[in-house]
Amino acid sequence: MFDQLFDSALLDSALRAMIPILLAALGGAICERAGVFQIALEGMMLAGAFAAVAGSFFAQSSAMGILFAVGGGVAVSLILAYGAVTKRGDAIVLGISINLFAFGITGFLLPQIFGVRGVFQHDRIDGLERISIPLLADIPVIGPVLFRTTVTAYLSFLLVPALWLFLFRTPIGLRLRGVGERPAAAATLGVSPHRYKYAAVIASGVLTGLAGAQLALGNVVQFAENMSSGRGWVAVVAVMLGRAHPTGVLGASLLFAFAEALGFRFQGNGLPVQITDALPFVVTLLALVIARKRFARLLDLTTASA
Amino acid sequence: MPEWSVRYVAGLLRGAATSPVTHSLLLAFVAGGVIVALTGQDPLVAYREMFGGAVDGSGLRNTLSRAIPIVGMALAVSVCFRAGVINLGGEGQMVVGGLAGTVVAIYTPGPGAFVIPLALLAGAAAGAAWALLPAFAQTRLALPILLTSLLLNYVGRAVTGYLVRFPLADVSVTLATTRQVPESARMPKLPIFGGVSLSLLLVLVLVVAMAVVYARSVVGYETKMSGFSGRFARYGGVAVERQTVAVMAVSGAIGGAIGTHLIIGDALRFIEGELVLSGLAWTGLLVSLLAANRPILILGAGLLFSGLQIGGLAMQRNADISWRLAQVLQALVIIAVASRMSLRPRRRREADSVEVEELAVEPARVGQV
Repeated sequence: MFDQLFDSALLDSALRAMIPILLAALGGAICERAGVFQIALEGMMLAGAFAAVAGSFFAQSSAMGILFAVGGGVAVSLILAYGAVTKRGDAIVLGISINLFAFGITGFLLPQIFGVRGVFQHDRIDGLERISIPLLADIPVIGPVLFRTTVTAYLSFLLVPALWLFLFRTPIGLRLRGVGERPAAAATLGVSPHRYKYAAVIASGVLTGLAGAQLALGNVVQFAENMSSGRGWVAVVAVMLGRAHPTGVLGASLLFAFAEALGFRFQGNGLPVQITDALPFVVTLLALVIARKRFARLLDLTTASA
Repeated sequence: MPEWSVRYVAGLLRGAATSPVTHSLLLAFVAGGVIVALTGQDPLVAYREMFGGAVDGSGLRNTLSRAIPIVGMALAVSVCFRAGVINLGGEGQMVVGGLAGTVVAIYTPGPGAFVIPLALLAGAAAGAAWALLPAFAQTRLALPILLTSLLLNYVGRAVTGYLVRFPLADVSVTLATTRQVPESARMPKLPIFGGVSLSLLLVLVLVVAMAVVYARSVVGYETKMSGFSGRFARYGGVAVERQTVAVMAVSGAIGGAIGTHLIIGDALRFIEGELVLSGLAWTGLLVSLLAANRPILILGAGLLFSGLQIGGLAMQRNADISWRLAQVLQALVIIAVASRMSLRPRRRREADSVEVEELAVEPARVGQV
């Protein structure tokens, strides 16, 4: 049974499921390190997906799609940065309302710009091409999965070690973590917490925008209303489970991606879609239960009962 | 007119004019107008249709009808937010409770006077049970309610979807839906504005009851204290864990009853995904935030947001501008309130204050925006 379940097709669909979650979660990890509670990932991903399709459609180029997606993610992230950092508003209230804003504005613009409701599909939307890396793509099983994929996927692979180097081996990374852990001490040393927090939130906008591009131009080539469908929230959990550490976040994202891919596979084997759709969320909840000792800080942050 | 009443009205007007909520509303409408203009439509036409549509013709009846679930879900979430419990699972609690209530309404024989209250109670019980999962996950397993309650929305969506597609399905129609609620088990309509569900009265009673409990009772005081500072409440002798469980149960119960109303008082069939699609739980959450969790203000804010949505639908019919503008406006209002936006410039000193000083200030919590 297992050799039927685990083949390169499953790996491929797990990878496709993982990229958006991983990109968003890496963005969330940067914010977490800088001490910004980032729960607007869902909305930023949705805005990124919409902008990706719009950019790709109007310029008929997937590169422009990616650029627009980044722009969309950053634009939404700036709302959070302004409200939570400059105005010191509640990041939770802002995060929730930003998610609802993104849901509303994409649902509003879809009929206003493209004249359709629900789903926008068009020949002129240029999807992300799969780029093959010579030799590496010929490795059996994993080769065609890991080395014949989209540019956003390659970027996400590179980002895991790059972010680790940045956070733990560069002075700027050290300062960023300092701002998150001991803001007063960082400020005393002349590090501006505001500037670092802004940079972290904008970086999460860039990465989550890319996640949206992968979702709408890589995994499928279309925009569907509310197509992020909880992935941004799963990314929030991935940040917590992975302790905002790049490799930990990668592991958590992989776990959820396999749950999604397995659900998809079970669906092919006749299980009702309602059950398989719930699988990633059930796995996420179970992972939370198993790793529960790790959430003391978040609990402090989100409850008054601390 | 006696002088004191003039002064009172003037005071109210001055209060409204300087309130950050008024400024946030104005800013949201300006931003919304810009968005409409950018898509090549006339914002003035949009707002005229929207405001007119909320009250013209059947608009007023529809606004009142839609305000029932919006105000109800806002009351549900206010119970939690006041106590500092961040329940984002309103949607799941509403949907799960709604299906339970619907099943009781469809399959219980007997007169309406017996079946309808029973259905509401069943919905409330199921909503409360669904809300207790994240509550115990926080008090027993130290998992934040914020995340677990939200993730359970997706599970609730899937479970109810499965139930109405298979075991509870009405096979005579192609939709995934339950049978229709029988005539006798439907919520009666009040003979006002051409027929508004009796649930309106129930929600009004709930508004008054909760206003009294919040302001005048020991429980109301203790939950509010927990919302300000859990440590302080604990020191004052409040069993914070037990309170967390209690407010989640009450919140889920209200949500479940509202979900039941949405079927037996409105849709009459539980169609897969319909309750989720309505977004009413999230609108309610925004209403509670705008009203700072105060029941009387929730009633006003709920009517406002309901009017925006009903007016938005009229705008969509008459001016071909998507009603989703209403959702954009709602979210923008709360973003502006949470960002403490004001039309009056802040004092310079405040804006330039030293960062270290700022860091000593705890960020505002939910409910204190």
